[in-house]
Parts: sequence; structure tokens; C-alpha cells
Amino acid sequence: MTFHTVDLLTRDGERLSFPCAEDQSVVEAAAAADLFLPVVCREGGCGACHATAESGDYELGPHSEAALSVADAARRAILLCRTYPRGPLALSAPFDRARILTQAIRPRHAVVSERTQIGARTVRLRLTLEDEGEGAAAEFEAGQYMELEIPDEAGDGARARRAYSLANTANWDGTLEFLIRLHPQGRFSEYLEGRAAVGDRLRVHGPLGGFTLRENGLRPRWFVAGGTGLAPMLSMLRRMAEYQDPQPARLYFGVNRAEELFALDELGALSDALPGGFALIPCVWQADADWSGVVGTPADALRADLAVLRGDAPDLYVCGPPALIAAVEQAARDRGVPDDRLHSERFLPGLR
Amino acid sequence: MFCYQCEQTTRLPTGDGCASAKGLCGKDATTADLQDLLVHAVKGIAQQARRARALGVPDNDAGAFMLHALFTTLTNVNFNPTRFVTLLHEAAAVRDRVAARCEAALAANPDVAQNIPNATGPAIEWTPAADLTGLLAQAAIVPVNADLARVGADIVGLRALILYGMKGVAAYANHAAVLGCTRDAVFAGVEETMAYLASDPTDMAELLDRALSVGRLNLQVMEMLDAANTGRFGTPHPTAVRVTPVAGKAILVSGHDLGDLEALLKQTAGTDINVYTHGEMLPAHGYPTLKAYPHLVGNYGGAWQDQQTDFANFPGPILMTSNCIIEPGPRYRQRIFTTGPVGWPGVRHLTDHAFAPLIAAANALPGFKADEAEQTVTVGFGGDAVLGVAGAVVDAVKAGDIRHFFLIGGCDGAAAGRNYYSDFATGAPDDTVVLTLGCAKYRFNRHEFGSIGGIPRLLDIGQCNDSYSAIRIASALAEAFGCGVNDLPLSLVVSWFEQKAAAVLLTLLALGIRNIRLGPTLPAFLTPTLLAVLVERFGIQPITTAPDDIAAALNRAA
Repeated sequence: MTFHTVDLLTRDGERLSFPCAEDQSVVEAAAAADLFLPVVCREGGCGACHATAESGDYELGPHSEAALSVADAARRAILLCRTYPRGPLALSAPFDRARILTQAIRPRHAVVSERTQIGARTVRLRLTLEDEGEGAAAEFEAGQYMELEIPDEAGDGARARRAYSLANTANWDGTLEFLIRLHPQGRFSEYLEGRAAVGDRLRVHGPLGGFTLRENGLRPRWFVAGGTGLAPMLSMLRRMAEYQDPQPARLYFGVNRAEELFALDELGALSDALPGGFALIPCVWQADADWSGVVGTPADALRADLAVLRGDAPDLYVCGPPALIAAVEQAARDRGVPDDRLHSERFLPGLR
Repeated sequence: MFCYQCEQTTRLPTGDGCASAKGLCGKDATTADLQDLLVHAVKGIAQQARRARALGVPDNDAGAFMLHALFTTLTNVNFNPTRFVTLLHEAAAVRDRVAARCEAALAANPDVAQNIPNATGPAIEWTPAADLTGLLAQAAIVPVNADLARVGADIVGLRALILYGMKGVAAYANHAAVLGCTRDAVFAGVEETMAYLASDPTDMAELLDRALSVGRLNLQVMEMLDAANTGRFGTPHPTAVRVTPVAGKAILVSGHDLGDLEALLKQTAGTDINVYTHGEMLPAHGYPTLKAYPHLVGNYGGAWQDQQTDFANFPGPILMTSNCIIEPGPRYRQRIFTTGPVGWPGVRHLTDHAFAPLIAAANALPGFKADEAEQTVTVGFGGDAVLGVAGAVVDAVKAGDIRHFFLIGGCDGAAAGRNYYSDFATGAPDDTVVLTLGCAKYRFNRHEFGSIGGIPRLLDIGQCNDSYSAIRIASALAEAFGCGVNDLPLSLVVSWFEQKAAAVLLTLLALGIRNIRLGPTLPAFLTPTLLAVLVERFGIQPITTAPDDIAAALNRAA
């Protein structure tokens, strides 16, 4: 088997090097070198492991067009889990070195402590981590996610996983909070709608992911969320409030219909808790006559506000389906917001 | 960014200094540039504060702000750009407040004005830009090497030597200030020196004199810090410190701030939580007031550069009280807390000894499950402890039982060449005594040195903060032998890493101490010309190999 060297440059300037066989993905080869990259589906389906090939030849394995478009692939954007080297490869990653683990995370168990319907198709799920000898603390960074195993009918045994962003902040009580959109035929949705009950025991993996806050002085932070893409934003905003971060913040929160809005009380509470100020801009795409707020997508609202912005361009955080992310990226580029101020995490139905 | 303030700075044939997107310490260019701008802002405060003092309205609150602000700019202290943006705005407000005091004093007594010049210059005129882009544009014109093309590397290097020495002075003075110990003379010295730097001086002889005056100022500060520590916590006594864990919930305290440690010990008294020291906090165990807490159970881990491993393996939360922090790894990023001048982006910062989150973390985390076999090291040979046996020491020297003393002190670090210091300590002949302070000791403090006539061959004087004790010991020995310090059978082997060590080095030079061995490499800001001056005036020498340097020291003494 032919091996090639992969040089990976992280967002904060660290260079990592490891060998990669031609039939190994970059993610697999990194793991073989005890470098666990922030990935989600590992199947080319979610787009969470976006990176850029700076030089070198490679082959892209099968992947979803929504996760990596033809146009992006033509610009040498890659998915780390679907990239196979054909020569020495230099890559740049959109996450910091600290997001790469040097040992695999052991699975833990957690118990369902709350399951509440909070929107037309959204459930709040709270789990409590068990103390399995290593303490019960929930240690993660705002914006990260966990993978939850779907219990089988017997309550355990199945190994299919779904990744969901955490909506709360790190805590010492072991609480994990998720905002989960219910999808027809979704396996975890079926569990949540049919069988889930307080006291259920789940296996969880994490925390994972590199979609976290960037500390850039007092530059404003603008968040754009589509549907349950709100979860990591809520986590980040709550962490900002907890740490009393001084950056001005605003959130564009988009849903299809007004009745799908959720977590408005929690978001409202942030106004008083964030020292730099907080603006909540709910956006409804298919609004009825009673809706008095922004009509359209959050990307539309963002574009309008960027057009009249004076002063420093904000850091933009966006989480939602690929179309939303593409629209936000375009709006940011049209306004001249530098690429390094745009931080995104995309999710696709069935994978989140 | 351009930064060459620490020992590990980038060294290239094309020129020394970190000048890329990220320094070797892990500091990004934005943070480094904002720190340069904060130093500029502090110069402006110093100019106004010096004027206020001359007008009879000194503002020691401004002085305290300067100490804290400069402390945040030391290597491995604060990496959080957000914090620096806030500090910059605070700095401008402090400067303007002091300026207003000056104006009020002048209005009350206009005749005084004739003798006291106005404060002028860029640091007085500066106002912080409204946004980050603007601040970085301002920072671009005030780096430490801004004047290089005009004045040359020697002048820039001397200014840097003074600035970095002042950063060390500020750090030590801040340690004393948080224990409630300040002195007008120290504030005046800080104001005077930083205002001098604001004048962009170019006279080499004057700059050299100023560098030595920084050393003298630091001697005052070290004495003040010694008084603050011993006044609050008692006189250190030789104490065996456990360096293996005991079962139970656990908190690890690193850095230098003994006041933070004491506050945490009070807040955890009567709980099931054990407190461990790490790194430069090890000497805390020698202080009577601190070791009286039974749950201060031991020391965990090694010197600062081992923290990413030590902290990841520690089964409880960590409190970092001062330098030296390096990037927290993902395994402990959520359970490390900073306080005081320290900061890291995304790491929770605690103020005013509000340690409840730290204690909650300790209760949630597993702690140590079992005792490990007990091992100890001995600390607490501060000035009084050694001077208490000075008679025996002098007798041992006169009897020929002790041939020589080596003071091996300073910082540890990750560079491979630092094994010189362990080779030196363990290779010192059996009829010699090794005194040590700072964190370099971790390279050899578990070695079995034995004793000479009941006097341990390894005497741990304390933190780098305890340099005053070493100076007292040397001075007392010189007095006992009726000679100067340079005539004692004593060699100083200094391991430097950052700016506290720069301040101590200037103090040693100001005291006229010669023939110091300095390593593992020489400061990048010392040009060949400056080094030649230091060699000529003070006999400073770079380290070579441990056996050769031991032999040279013993030959010189003979």
C-alpha cells in the first residue's frame, strides 16, 4: 500500500503531519496517528468536516451534494472523511488545534430527565450523565455536540447514532440539553415520539466538534440559526452571559412558520444577562397576517442589516441547513466580510 | 506581531523574534499587538502619574493599575484579546483621571506649574480606537522595535531590557500589592521608568544606567514581597512535602499567588476536598500559616511546561493564579480556571476569590481514588531558615567540609538544553551545596543529595519570587566571612525564561555580582554590542557544559 504524508494546518496555525494510505480517508489516517478530528457522520453526508486542499492530489469519495457542492469541490473544498490522498497533501482546517483530541472519547451513559415538546415539531431533551467512576460533570465547549445512541426496544443494544448540538453550557450537575427537530421516519424522532420516557438510559459519545466561539476582542458576534440550528447558538449565548463576555450580540432565528418558534423565553432572558447588549430577530418565512416581525429567511435579514452596517464587520456564526449557510456566506462576501469571520456548521435531516 | 521578550523566541539566521501569526508561546498576533499597545498606554499613565506625584497629588491607584496591566503582558500570563481591549479602554480612563488630578492641583496652586513640565507625547495624545481594527492599526506603530531603522538594534535592545525588567518588577510588585503591601517609592520608580521609556531615549550610557536602576528598584520590590509573604504567612521552615496523591476530591493550584491559595484553603476548610500545589506554588508548604491547613496535602506534577500532561491527568479542577499558563488541552479545558492577571480565551475567569465554581467542579469530578506510596521533597529553606544555621555553615566552610556553593535558580522550560541544570546540580561534587529557587528545581529536586554535617546539600529557597532570600543569604555569608559577595565560594547559575528573571538578573547586576552563568540561551534582545558590555562590566557568561562550568567555577574559587 502506498502512503502519502498529509500536512494539516489548523485555524490557529498549528501544523500536524501524519501518513495516510491511498485507501484511507484523512479522518481514518489521523485517528491511526492518535489525532481525532472533529467529524460527525464520517459518511460524507453532513458536511461537518469541511476543509480546504491547499496543494496535492487527492480523490473525493462518495458524498452528499448538500454536504459538498460541485462548485465548492471545484474550488478544492473537501470533506476530510471522504478525502483519499494520491500524493503528498497539504490541507487547511477551519478549526483550532485544541479541537483535535489525542485519545478517543469513551462512551458514557446518561438518563433522560426531561422530554418536552416546545414547538410545532421540536422537542427539548434533557439528559443527566451518570457517575461511572469518573464523576458526573458535563464538560464541553459551547457549540459542541454529542452523539446519542438510539435505544432499541429492549432499552439498549442498538448502536445507530445521531448527533445533536448541546443547547446548555458546561456544568457540574451532568446536565445535557438538546433541541431536537422531529422528522417523519427519523429513527431518533420515532424514539422520541413513541417510546422515550423519563428514566430511559442512553449511551452518549462526546463532546465533539469544532464549531465554537472565537475570541477576537470586542468584535460583535452575530448568530444566524435555522430551526434547531438554534441549539449551538443558545449554548454560545448562554456561555457569553455566564462569562459576562462584553461583545455585542444579535441572533437571527429563522423558522418556516411562526408556530415553529421555540425557546423564546430563554432567548428573552439573555437580553438582561449579556453585558454588551443582545438583539433577537425572529424571522418567519411563511408568515401569516398576525406576524409582525421579519418576513423571510434569516439570511435575508442579515443581508439587509449588513448593507447598512457601519464600523467593524462582525464575526458571523451560522448553523442550519446547507442552503441557509450558502445564503449567509454569499451575503457576507457581498458585504466584504472576511472569510475568517464566518463560522458555520451545517446539518442535514436524518443526521441531526 | 514582533516579540522577543522570552527565551524561547524564534531564532533565525535572518533575525530573532516571533513575527508571524502566532508566537512560540502560543500568543496570537492580535493579542501580542494589543499588549504592545497596552504598554504604550501604560507609558502615558506613567507620564501623568509622575507629574501628579511631583504636584503633590500622587495616584497610587494608577500605580496599581500599571502593575496589573504590565503583569498581564508577561510571557504565559494572559492570552485573551478581549481582556486587552477592555484594559486599553480602562488605561485611557486612568490616564485621563490622573491628568484631571494634575489640572486640579495646578488650578489650586498655579505657581507650582513653572517647575513641573507638562506631560506630552504620543502616549499622552493616544485615545483608544473604537473597534478592534482601529486598535490594531494603532498597535502597528508602537511595537518594541518600532524605532529600529532610526536608532539601531543596540538602543532598541536596551529599551527592551528596561521594559522587560519593568514587566518583572511590575509582576513582583503586583504579588505584594494583592497581599496589601505597597510603597510610594515603588510606585514612583515605576512611574519614573515607564515615563523615561515614553521619551524614546537614545543615549546608550544613560540607558545602561537606567537598566541598573531597574535592578535596584526590583531589589526594593523583592524585599517588599518578602515582607508581604512572611508578614502574612510566617517565616518558611524546612518542610517535607508529599509529592504523591492521597485518596479524595482534589483541587490543584498553580502559579505564584499565595493569597489566592490561602483564600481557597479557607473556603475548602472542613470539606472533603484536598488542595495540591503545582509548579511554583510548591514553596507554599513551607509557610506556617498555609501548612497549618491539613487539607493542603501535597504537590502534584512538575514545572510549568509539564502542565498539559499534569493537568490532563489531575482528576479535579485547576486554578491558575499567575504565570505560567500554556494552552489548555481539550481534556481539561473546562475544568481549569484563571484568576488575577491570567487569562485564556474560553477559560472561566474568577475574580475576588469567588471560588464557588471551582469548588463545585471539585465535588463533581472524581478526585483520586486511592493513596499512592508516599514520597516527599523538602522545601522551606528561605533566608531565615538558612541564616539560622549560618554559624554551622560558616564552620563547615572553614573546616573544608563545604568547598563551594552553587545557586542554581530561575525558570524551567521545555527546551532540550535545559537538562544542563539537572546535570549541573547532580554533577556538583559531594563537598558542595546547591541552593535553588524558581521552577528549574523540578529537574533535580527528587535527586538524593545527602547532607554535609547535618546541612542538606540541596536547599530549596522558594519561588523565583523569593530571590530576596537568596540575596540575603549571600550578603550574610559575605559578612560572616568578611568579604564581598564576589569573593565568596559561590557561583550563580541562572536559568531564565521570561521577564521576572530579567528583573532578577538586573538586580544581581545592580548589586555588582559578577560571573553569572546565564542560559540556556542568551536573550535575543541582547545584541553582540550589549553582550560585550555585560561581559566586560559583569563577567556574564553563557553556559557551556555542566562538567566544564562546574570545573571552571571550582578553579576560579580555588
